[in-house]
Amino acid sequence: MTFRLEVRLKDELFDASGAGILKKARAYFGFDVDDVRVIRVLTIDAHFDDEQLSRIQDELFTNPITEKSAYTPIQRGFDWLIWVGFRPGVRDTAGSTAREAIEDLLDVTFGPGEAVYTSRCYEIRGKLTEDQVHRIASELLANAAIQQWKVFSGNKWDPEEGIGLLIPKVILRRKPEVKKIPIESDETLKCLSIERNLALQDRDIPVIREYFLREEILRERKTVGLDLPTDVELEYISQARSDHCNHNTFRGKFHYHDLQSGEREIIDSLFKTCIEAPTLMIQEEKDWVVSVLWDNAGVARFDADHHYCITGETHNSPSNMEAYGGAITGIVGIYRDPMGTGKGSKLILGMYGYCVGQRDYQGDLEPHLHPRRLLDGIIEGVRDGGNKSGIPTPYGLLLFDESFTGKCLVFVTALGLMPSRVGGRPSHEKSTSPGDLIIMSGGRVGKDGIHGVTAASETYSENTPAGHVQIGDPYTQKKMHDFLLEARDEDLIGFITDNGGGGLSSSVGESARFSNGCIVHLDRVPLKYEGLNQWEIWVSESQERMTIAVKPEHLDRFMALSRKHAVLSTVIGEYTNSGFLHLKYGEETCAYIRMDLLESDFPQWEFDAQWLPPKMRGFTEPVISEPTDHGALLHAMLQRPNICSRNWIAMQYDHEVQGTSVIKPLVGKERDVPSDAAVIRPVLRSRKGIVVSQALNPVYSKIDTYHMTTATIDEAVRKVLAAGGDPEHLAGVDNFCWPTIEYDPVQNPDGKYKAAQLVRSNRALRDMCLQYHIPLLSGKDSMYIDGNLKGPYGERRKVSGLPTLLFTVSSVMADIQKAITMDVKFPGDLVYVLGETRNEMGGGEYYQMMGQVGLNVPRVYGMEFLPQYLALHQAMESELVSSCHAVTRGGLAVHLALAAMGGALGMTIRLLAIPAAPGLSDSQKLYSESCGRFVVTVSQEKKTLFEKCFSGMKLVRVGVVTESTDFVIQGEDGGTILKEDIRRLKDTWKKPFGDLI
Amino acid sequence: MTKVKAMVLTGYGLNCDNETDYSLHLAGADSRRMHINQLIENAQSDSRTVLRNYQLLVFGGGFSWADDHGAGVLMASKMKRHLGEQLKAFVDAGNLILGICNGFQALVNLGLLPGFDGRYVDRKVALTHNDSGNFIDCWVSLKINGQSPCVFTKGIRRAEFPVRHGEGKFYASDDTLKRLFENEQVVLQYAGSDGRPAAGRWPANPNGSLSDIAGMCDATGRIFGLMPHPEAFNHFTNHPDWTRRKLGLARVGKNIDREEGEGIAVFRNAVEYFA
Repeated sequence: MTFRLEVRLKDELFDASGAGILKKARAYFGFDVDDVRVIRVLTIDAHFDDEQLSRIQDELFTNPITEKSAYTPIQRGFDWLIWVGFRPGVRDTAGSTAREAIEDLLDVTFGPGEAVYTSRCYEIRGKLTEDQVHRIASELLANAAIQQWKVFSGNKWDPEEGIGLLIPKVILRRKPEVKKIPIESDETLKCLSIERNLALQDRDIPVIREYFLREEILRERKTVGLDLPTDVELEYISQARSDHCNHNTFRGKFHYHDLQSGEREIIDSLFKTCIEAPTLMIQEEKDWVVSVLWDNAGVARFDADHHYCITGETHNSPSNMEAYGGAITGIVGIYRDPMGTGKGSKLILGMYGYCVGQRDYQGDLEPHLHPRRLLDGIIEGVRDGGNKSGIPTPYGLLLFDESFTGKCLVFVTALGLMPSRVGGRPSHEKSTSPGDLIIMSGGRVGKDGIHGVTAASETYSENTPAGHVQIGDPYTQKKMHDFLLEARDEDLIGFITDNGGGGLSSSVGESARFSNGCIVHLDRVPLKYEGLNQWEIWVSESQERMTIAVKPEHLDRFMALSRKHAVLSTVIGEYTNSGFLHLKYGEETCAYIRMDLLESDFPQWEFDAQWLPPKMRGFTEPVISEPTDHGALLHAMLQRPNICSRNWIAMQYDHEVQGTSVIKPLVGKERDVPSDAAVIRPVLRSRKGIVVSQALNPVYSKIDTYHMTTATIDEAVRKVLAAGGDPEHLAGVDNFCWPTIEYDPVQNPDGKYKAAQLVRSNRALRDMCLQYHIPLLSGKDSMYIDGNLKGPYGERRKVSGLPTLLFTVSSVMADIQKAITMDVKFPGDLVYVLGETRNEMGGGEYYQMMGQVGLNVPRVYGMEFLPQYLALHQAMESELVSSCHAVTRGGLAVHLALAAMGGALGMTIRLLAIPAAPGLSDSQKLYSESCGRFVVTVSQEKKTLFEKCFSGMKLVRVGVVTESTDFVIQGEDGGTILKEDIRRLKDTWKKPFGDLI
Repeated sequence: MTKVKAMVLTGYGLNCDNETDYSLHLAGADSRRMHINQLIENAQSDSRTVLRNYQLLVFGGGFSWADDHGAGVLMASKMKRHLGEQLKAFVDAGNLILGICNGFQALVNLGLLPGFDGRYVDRKVALTHNDSGNFIDCWVSLKINGQSPCVFTKGIRRAEFPVRHGEGKFYASDDTLKRLFENEQVVLQYAGSDGRPAAGRWPANPNGSLSDIAGMCDATGRIFGLMPHPEAFNHFTNHPDWTRRKLGLARVGKNIDREEGEGIAVFRNAVEYFA
């Protein structure tokens, strides 16, 4: 039997969720909507008697104070009704918890195939056409990638029948089957790869064929009943060889050619030369670097008893298709990396970075989702993923640029904390040994996420399979997180890693390398529904799963803890030293592959990289005379989408959970100005803190990715130092997002240039890490940030995202009580600028506002900056500083104003005093985005001591903090060129997104 | 003197257990975290002793069972079914129960609050979706009712704690509200910077709670539920204004006088109740 319980708020209660939809329908589409009310629907596909049903209704799902409910249609008096439910196979966490609650309440167990499904109805009142209602359904309420919907009109409504019974049950009417793949020629295998969406690389195909056709291989395969390769085996190889897992691009060979200077260089692996080499060098000198370059996250020392680990990645393609699902899966997914680092760590902090098209985009091209909707969904996904995981999210970035309408970027970063030793041994070390059991913990396996890894390694098109869109489930994962920490502390874990991209294929495949072999019984893997093929079980990316190696003698205790935490754990096989990856389904072997196949000679990817310097590409400085209305100019700059307040995001993210918050995302007297960095106190009984910040500046890439990279790293470093971070402990995480660099005369004619951009960016990364002594604790690359968007004439146009590096810096501070915020504190305090302002407006906000790019992109002069940073840190350690703020996007005018707004105080600044290169105009001093600069305020009595720290450096007192709320700038000739009330400036700055909550 | 024993529930998506446990230790309690299933299992083996050694039971913050069917609803159902009688006995024995955020939501759904007439089973109030329709994290000012019998707020008149919730709007019928005020069961109200109740104004009242109610107790004052998080103010550096405050004191030659955060006072009151 199927029952449908409908629950609605009592009429006298305000429906906040309905009101939000109403507001959006009016604001986004201009529709004449009067009222929206939401009805929760539970479809119970199981057998219950009347008494049981009424207990389910009354004791579980209806709040007697606020709600009423019925097993019959409850909708009424509407003009239109929209029903939205999940498509079959999409994760329905609320459905699972409903089932769990019913089973507990009635002391029953659901039978096979029985389930609870949740969906929603939206009662709409207002004068709307059917087309408009469909638009609300498809562009506001539902996404066809994961949801289905129905529209009912009020005058055709059947109050008896209601919405009907819709059960999104997955039924796969088939018997699991292993297929053999013919490999008579490279061409056959190539065709099959395309047909089956295997995404095998053309250059890998001969190597794969050679393996399977080799005499000795054929002989050993015969012993297990195999001849031709199976689909399971090819899927395994495809996953392991994908760019996502294997980083073929970063390990590729680049033929770099500077077309102007004639310089030629062959770079054999960007990873080895620009990431690994400098990091290993710095690891030698920094004893706090514990573990880098191999595990799910890099590990650094926090104190004698604890390490912290950090990693970051992107979830671009899935978020671009289904923003909420993609983003929540992204944040929940990155949280599994620290859980799977060393013997496992506790999650202590998350961060986010979003790059999307303009929120009010009205261009000709049709992005898959409008940037506004995309951004709404991404923000909500990370909100639910982070908040429901109980992990603070105190820092993040948002950048608008039209180039990201092709594919959005969603960066997620996670930090974990682990005891430095577990069971008397270093906690960051782990291994698998023959005889260890392979355990899968967490969720069940379904068809979801199949080929996610290979899809992420492709340009977005209409044919991208929707099946790889998932909805992360922080609830299931939080239970698993708590369980695994307890198991770790009892020393029950030998090895642990997460199931992310590639699923078991990656997690088991990689962990079995330690013991040199494994045997896995695919029929023992718990499934969401019957009928999955063996290869699907093996590569499914169903979320919230970890793979753990447990010694047989620890199994009982491990399983007991798993039951206590209500987490599903299953022994699915055993690590061996056979030298083979051996997969079985029942008695039948479906894969038998030598462990060392993946180490064999797969051809290295090769790229031609041709660099043309910006001047040769026709970039020049624009011709703009000095503005005369500096007040209006500053107001305009403060309203720029990439400068204005985005407080609505930070306020939705729990940054206080765990009780560790020291410096929050929003600071200042009115708690509404963004902080340079976040500081937490992860060990509550210790005064030590972790400082983190991030930066991204993709627009600089238009001029030169070398300087984009140096400026970005310098910015992240400065923001960490501004909050009190230690320049001796700067750890980096590099997250590259790049458009396709493989040259194709038709599909990617500028591929060689984009490849050169990547080479230059990596060189800059290497140079900066060596200069600033930053080991790269972790990093990921995400290529293919292109999209082919539909144009108005039926054409498709390729839109490539700007080459982007999101750089994260973390530091450890000895005493959080010395942390500093960016807001000015007291009238009479002196305002200093540290660092020289140069004529570097290229790629900056001022030029962008004028519709220009320019040529003079900001540069980093590390040898000049570093001593200044060390001196600043000394001054902060000696508690001489009242506020400190890194000058970034928008330049001095914007950041002086922000510091003043933060303190709700005025400021008087003399431009003449600002340390600057000779001959700079007022506007250049105010809006140049030169690197290396800080705004610092200091009390009168600490003036001498403070200035002493910087003898011979570019530190100048430029003004004073005032009681009056006027923000005053005196120009070159001493006259006032700008005088604006700081409260008015703040109103302007808050205006663009001020009505979003 | 033996220490007061406190139990902080964990599991099923609860997430403030570590800092709540830490705050209790700071306040002088012998606190331990206990998984809900462990508690239920213990109760099944010997139902009478499961809570007997404890004086304070804390339902902490988090997203129990993901909160998809109303915050704290499934948690309440689970506790009622497996530990209903033990909870009643625990209250009758003169012990304390504290519910913070999700825990408060669970207490109202269990009927432990408001607990009119000593009946601890009726649902009389609800904590429903914020008027903004969205989750909010911000620090709030609280007016504390000095007339209330609440054990946990004794001697505290004003406080600032963070709220972090999507469902914190206090809702009840007019009759219930009237009775709550008459009985002095309203303990905390969201307040403006002047210390007076916010009168529904956003953002001082961050969720649209009727009568600005942020926390309440039962008639005995021994069961207390609140949306704000005192455990998140366990150190002075948790407060959003601490850098300004510290520098201001330094200007007059003073230092921050105590490192401990002001939220600990709530837990210390509970501990001292048994002294």
